[in-house]
Amino acid sequence: MMAFIVKYAAFSRISVAQARRERGELYGRIVFFAVILGVFSSLWRAVAEAGMPVAADPKTLVWYLAATEWIVLSAPPIHLDIQEAIRRGDVVYRLGRPASYVIGEFAASLGLLAARAPLLGLTAFLCAFAFTRWIPPLGALAIVVPFGLAAAALMTGLHLWIGLLAFWLEDVSPVYWVWQKLMFVLGGLMMPLELYPQFIQKAAAFTPFPVMLADPASFVVWNRLVTPGALARSLVIWCCATAIAVWWTFRRATSALTINGG
Amino acid sequence: MAAKSLAFARALIATNLKAALALRGAFVIQVVFMLLNNGTFFVFWWALMHQVSALRGWRLGDIQLLFGVVAAGFGLAVTVAGGVRHLGRFIEEGDLDTLLTQPRSVLVYALGVRSQPSGFGDLLSGMLFIAWSGQVSWRMVPIVLAVILASALVFVASGIVFFSLAFWLGRVETLARQLWELLITFSLYPEPLFGGMLRLALFTILPAGFVGYLPARVVHAPSLLHVSLLAVGAGTYLALAVLVFDRGLRRYASGSRFSTFG
Amino acid sequence: MQAAVELHQVSKSFRVRRARGAGFTARVFDLLGPETQTVLAVDRLSFSIAPGERVAFIGPNGAGKSTTLKMLAGILRPDAGDVRVLGFVPSRQRHQLAFQIGTVFGQRSQLWYQLPPRDTFALLGRVYEIDGREHKRRIDALTSVFELGTLVDTPVRHLSLGERMRCEIVASLLHSPRMLFLDEPTIGLDVSAKAAIRELLRSESERQGVTLLLTSHDTGDMERVCKRAIVIHRGQLLWDGPIAALRRSYLKAKRVTVWTEAEHLELTLPGVRVLSSGSYRTELEIALEITPLGQVVDAALRQAAIRDMAIEDAPLDEVIRALYANADTGSASS
Repeated sequence: MMAFIVKYAAFSRISVAQARRERGELYGRIVFFAVILGVFSSLWRAVAEAGMPVAADPKTLVWYLAATEWIVLSAPPIHLDIQEAIRRGDVVYRLGRPASYVIGEFAASLGLLAARAPLLGLTAFLCAFAFTRWIPPLGALAIVVPFGLAAAALMTGLHLWIGLLAFWLEDVSPVYWVWQKLMFVLGGLMMPLELYPQFIQKAAAFTPFPVMLADPASFVVWNRLVTPGALARSLVIWCCATAIAVWWTFRRATSALTINGG
Repeated sequence: MAAKSLAFARALIATNLKAALALRGAFVIQVVFMLLNNGTFFVFWWALMHQVSALRGWRLGDIQLLFGVVAAGFGLAVTVAGGVRHLGRFIEEGDLDTLLTQPRSVLVYALGVRSQPSGFGDLLSGMLFIAWSGQVSWRMVPIVLAVILASALVFVASGIVFFSLAFWLGRVETLARQLWELLITFSLYPEPLFGGMLRLALFTILPAGFVGYLPARVVHAPSLLHVSLLAVGAGTYLALAVLVFDRGLRRYASGSRFSTFG
Repeated sequence: MQAAVELHQVSKSFRVRRARGAGFTARVFDLLGPETQTVLAVDRLSFSIAPGERVAFIGPNGAGKSTTLKMLAGILRPDAGDVRVLGFVPSRQRHQLAFQIGTVFGQRSQLWYQLPPRDTFALLGRVYEIDGREHKRRIDALTSVFELGTLVDTPVRHLSLGERMRCEIVASLLHSPRMLFLDEPTIGLDVSAKAAIRELLRSESERQGVTLLLTSHDTGDMERVCKRAIVIHRGQLLWDGPIAALRRSYLKAKRVTVWTEAEHLELTLPGVRVLSSGSYRTELEIALEITPLGQVVDAALRQAAIRDMAIEDAPLDEVIRALYANADTGSASS
């Protein structure tokens, strides 16, 4: 068991160093984060002025967005790395190695996540405070952190799965764009799902998106119908489903490779 | 002389578009998925504006118009002058050398040497958003087209300035891309959300106002004042871009660059 | 007759900003107060090339070859000295010069990757303002000379490197330039493709009177295409003359291969270097000034009967490497 963890931790360590080199991209994300929180704090104030039927306090909505964006921005866009590796043919070399390629890549991306999440979390906290002059109850914030990290890990797994589609698609980016926008809407990135029409809320229930964004972030805002226990269960279910999907996809891909005499 | 340059520009655009269309399947996917991407993203605004009838005077139709103008302007910019996004890399990697040995404007050539197929999706979705905003009639088509052109020109001009920093600063890919993405981000939100100082910035150093707000205004309520402002603005940015690039090119010819000598 | 290229005491140095090192603080300091170093790339270089000549421009990496080439093409401005190409001052008359010159960069493609070469040719017609009918005639002529056939209508991404290079050269000749600059034109090509391209370049230059300036690390390029070599080292002119003379005059050494009845040969004569020995075959390098050839043969015969023998001049790369080495030691002592 220990050997297993050590082996995969080694992968993570490599990519934490890689993450340090990608500082430029991270700083860019931080700037974007600050800007978007500023814009939305202004937006929600304007909405409050206009008198919103579902009267939500602008302050809580900004913190809600800070939480959802934190999760989204922390998850590294590894679908691009996977696509590159598949295009270059690197995957063929890794197939022979004892460490499963997929688990290795996932561990590596968790390393990246571990490097990004704290900095982005700090940005979220500072900017949300600066724009709202208010801090939610610390207990609420405390719950968001572990669930947020778990959600970001799940999101990373899904990004990995999208990356694997590069075995069949020439370019996975278009798929990723639409996937991401669906996540924004059905996951309630910019505003809680309750504020969307019923049919969207119903559709969202069939997807992993609320579990990744709306539910963890909602702990910051108000006591929702989702309890920590229920959310934990949902996350585990979706993680398993993702793991199975990734495994199955990889198996299909590699069997196709060996048939072609790759 | 000018006629020959025009003939060259026409041929360059034609070749560029032909290259973008060369891989038919990939092209269609990029266009369709970008359409889906933009449409899905807009669901947020649609849902929000159904709850709030007006946001500081802006209705759903106004936001749709803004969105459409920005998307169409951006789309036009990156399809016809797609090289603007790669300008930094061209400068860094010496790709301007081949262009310098040919008897044509290096800037025009560099802009017209790449095209982003997804841009067609942006252009198409932009026009659809404009058409369905309820703000335009058939009479207004020439104005709409002119406004899209102006927006595209400002996009291209800004890109030239941002990415030309590579002449002086070397690797500016991250910084320039950041500025470029900030420009897009700010232009997609209604101008009344921004306070005084920020509004000034958005009409000067980061011309989001000239890319989205002002063009949309011209369509919504065409007035001589707004049209002149837009024309002058676009012209000024274009002139600035040409100046910056020209200065940068002179520096390029002196050979001093941030590099390890080889 | 006016020279095609004239360089007179041309110098070029670069103020290079050296990166202090990795790390955020280092990069901030780099931006605010860069550390600079002046590197002299080209040092009082002078030479001239007559129209129709084919010249190989040789030098190790960092010698100043590409810098010189860029100054000739109008990409870089010299710091001192005069540059004239086809009567134009490149840095000041880049536009007019561009109509008269063509360039082929081995590492950089002029052809649009997703399209067939024909589309690039069409665009180049507009770039160089070539008359429609003349343009078509030129494409047809060059296509037949370079044996492109259906390649012209095949997307570049489907062409092999050799096929692509032939199309690149055609593209550079479309506007009938008077001078062609080639930078590593045969890099990465297999033997037959190299041979084809060299022959095409030579014959086309002879036929049309196009002046060629070619940089290459491949001595085959130099010998098959060019008659004259200009060797540059550390930004300075090292040697300028016919290639045949370069080989003959510079290194008085011979490569001798002997096949004998003994498996190994032991030869310890001064000026004789055994390059390899075994399997009844021995390769020797003989400095003829020290030990005449006859003496070496005698020594070999004393050990075993000689079945066969081959005598060659030292390979051109050796000659050139000796040139550089000599220049280095020469400058060290001076």
